[in-house]
Amino acid sequence: MIPELTVSTGAPRIAAVEHPFGLTVGMPGDAPGQLAVLRATLQALATISEPGSVVDLQLAWNDDATLNTTPPQPPPIVSYLRRHPWAIPRFFNRTPPEPIQSGAQ
Amino acid sequence: MVPMFDSYRFLDGVAKRVMQHWSSLRVATPIPWTPLAKPLSQCTLAIVSAAALASSDRPFDLQIERLDPWFSDPSYRVLPHSTTTGEVQSFHLHINPAFARQDLNSVMPLERLAELVASREVGDSAPSHYSYIGYTLRPKRLLQETVPAIVGRMRQEHVDAVLLVPV
Repeated sequence: MIPELTVSTGAPRIAAVEHPFGLTVGMPGDAPGQLAVLRATLQALATISEPGSVVDLQLAWNDDATLNTTPPQPPPIVSYLRRHPWAIPRFFNRTPPEPIQSGAQ
Repeated sequence: MVPMFDSYRFLDGVAKRVMQHWSSLRVATPIPWTPLAKPLSQCTLAIVSAAALASSDRPFDLQIERLDPWFSDPSYRVLPHSTTTGEVQSFHLHINPAFARQDLNSVMPLERLAELVASREVGDSAPSHYSYIGYTLRPKRLLQETVPAIVGRMRQEHVDAVLLVPV
């Protein structure tokens, strides 16, 4: 995951694990690996004393695994930006346009 | 020698640049802080997963994001602590949902938490856990409606600590 991004949100305690998107806690079926992530994260919860601190769980990810971590189709925002490249600065700066319909905020 | 953490290891050039820039857009607010009042072995823990987990009979409304790609369904779902793989699926449009379908614990480690409760490392698993769509560039309704609703329910269930699982 991206601890710097989480830090920017003001989260009080952050456990950093270098895992692919969609596999935050670990590989399907890898109960020992998942338990190690959870246990280390809770240990960080118990020991972090400074607000906004990041603890690197130092749990290695097996790069040999052949994984497809991409969604079945491009996310809607990706398709939209391909069709409307002039909107890319808005996405880059997280300044979306006004909602298309009321209530959709 | 301990290798340095690489936050952007799984991102390509464009996505990496976007995430690096977003990381620099810090919100200047005080960091909320509540000290852990008791040992983990006495704490009730709840998990909140951003993986958009829901049952097939009450899915997230993906048409909201398809019609307005800057936004997503701001609602949340409650997952009982006994929820197992196969009972819910991931409706998140930015990740591969297959992993959660194969093993819910990859993004919502309820069974692993139950094991830590059984070994008395954690006091208890809350009756209710939660999931929402972890993508929106208009977070107002998420912050003003969804989060207070979840917090209210957590207070009713005397939750001591919350694990937020991003995806």
